[in-house]
Amino acid sequence: MSSILLPNSKRVVATSTVHFQIRCYARKESGMDPKKETIRRALYPSNIRNKPTPTGTWRPDVEKALQHAIPSVQAHDTIDRAWLLHKRHIRKRREAETERKFESMRKAMDELASIDSHLYMEANKPENPRARSPEEVDLLKTLKASEARASDARIRGLFPRELRVPTDTPSRTGWKYDWKPFYRPL
Amino acid sequence: MSSRNFISLCRRKPSVFSRAFATVTESSSTPTQYPIPPQNARVKPKLLTSIILNRAPILTPTPTPFERAYYAYQARLRRALFNPFPYDFYFKQGSILEHRFTLEERKRERIAFGREFGVADELDKEKAAANKAAVEQLAEQEGESEEMMPRIHPSDDARDYKSLDRKGKRNLYLLLQENEGIWRFPEGIVKKGELLHQAAQRDLLAECGEYMDTWIVSRNPIGHYRPPKKAPSSSKPQPEEVAFFYKAHIMAGQARPNPETVKDFAWLTKQEIESRVPEYYWHGIKDMLSEH
Repeated sequence: MSSILLPNSKRVVATSTVHFQIRCYARKESGMDPKKETIRRALYPSNIRNKPTPTGTWRPDVEKALQHAIPSVQAHDTIDRAWLLHKRHIRKRREAETERKFESMRKAMDELASIDSHLYMEANKPENPRARSPEEVDLLKTLKASEARASDARIRGLFPRELRVPTDTPSRTGWKYDWKPFYRPL
Repeated sequence: MSSRNFISLCRRKPSVFSRAFATVTESSSTPTQYPIPPQNARVKPKLLTSIILNRAPILTPTPTPFERAYYAYQARLRRALFNPFPYDFYFKQGSILEHRFTLEERKRERIAFGREFGVADELDKEKAAANKAAVEQLAEQEGESEEMMPRIHPSDDARDYKSLDRKGKRNLYLLLQENEGIWRFPEGIVKKGELLHQAAQRDLLAECGEYMDTWIVSRNPIGHYRPPKKAPSSSKPQPEEVAFFYKAHIMAGQARPNPETVKDFAWLTKQEIESRVPEYYWHGIKDMLSEH
């Protein structure tokens, strides 16, 4: 890996070891507003394609940094394989659980088919998200506009909006224990 | 899943679904010592629906030490290989924010690569000291950053099994205790002319109260359970019972169970359910619940 980063590559002269200047295509015009100058430098990167990166530069001490980052080529490969193995374990566990759940579902449907064919056929019907049952239509007529919208918002066959995505830290208010009952026809 | 696909899938041989994995962590064991009641085709069994009410995880899983080490390793690699940050595009030259960024960036470099990196080449020590003081003053003026809520809730330590904030990373399931003391999922009878998922909804409201925002996932049951056949006390043959389980999610509210039939309730993880529920029931339900 270090062969790519031999000292042949043009190194930019750094004004300080911390801040690295970027070589640009656009010539430095004298008497230019420094703000405009920085924008030009960001918009028009170097035209010299002597490095793999499109905007034209590694950090000046890239070999030294890499040596400190990677212990060795063999170590890097081992870490890679360990990570893939770890991901494989997680994947297999998840797949096994999904398999168990699906088996349970299949057996339940087989059982239902042998018991009652009408219920079985009804259970297999796909949910129509646009359908409104007759009770719902009657209910919508009696409700206020805001409540009617709330009732319509829960679409059958689709995930409800209130199902929250897991976060790193819980909300300040915690679980909402007082929820006002809202009647939805079955 | 469309009905046609599902029916055709079910008609295929069961061997299609038993694939052998290279690494199988667990094998589900069926209890052979328990009697499997024979299917009586003449007498239709009594249908019950049961609900598995699930509170989905609120928190993301904690990364393991290996995962954290790997992410840190990858971050170091990226830092070594990426383009230098165009600091002059984002920060005004000589401003306090630039100094703050520089100080923080030097710290990050030292953490990533070692003591030789992130060394400031300060020509003017006094200027450096002045910059540092200005940055500290800015930090004081801005005030402390917002405190994050802790991932462990007080109900975790208190072992409050009725709390829905407990065990944020895990799936919690609602379990009811009957007056006799047996723990089970909420269940009820299917009335005539009713469909199974409608019966499930109605039974949930009847047994657990309507003060919960719930959503039943699908029309299909996720599992079934036949209680073990009891020895007939009288000459009349008892109709068998079959319970079909439906999965539901709770988004808000709390269970207020009907005190006539139910003594107590609890929100439990899969392992906690195993310790409370009768053994035959456990073998019937364990495949439907999430491990994590």
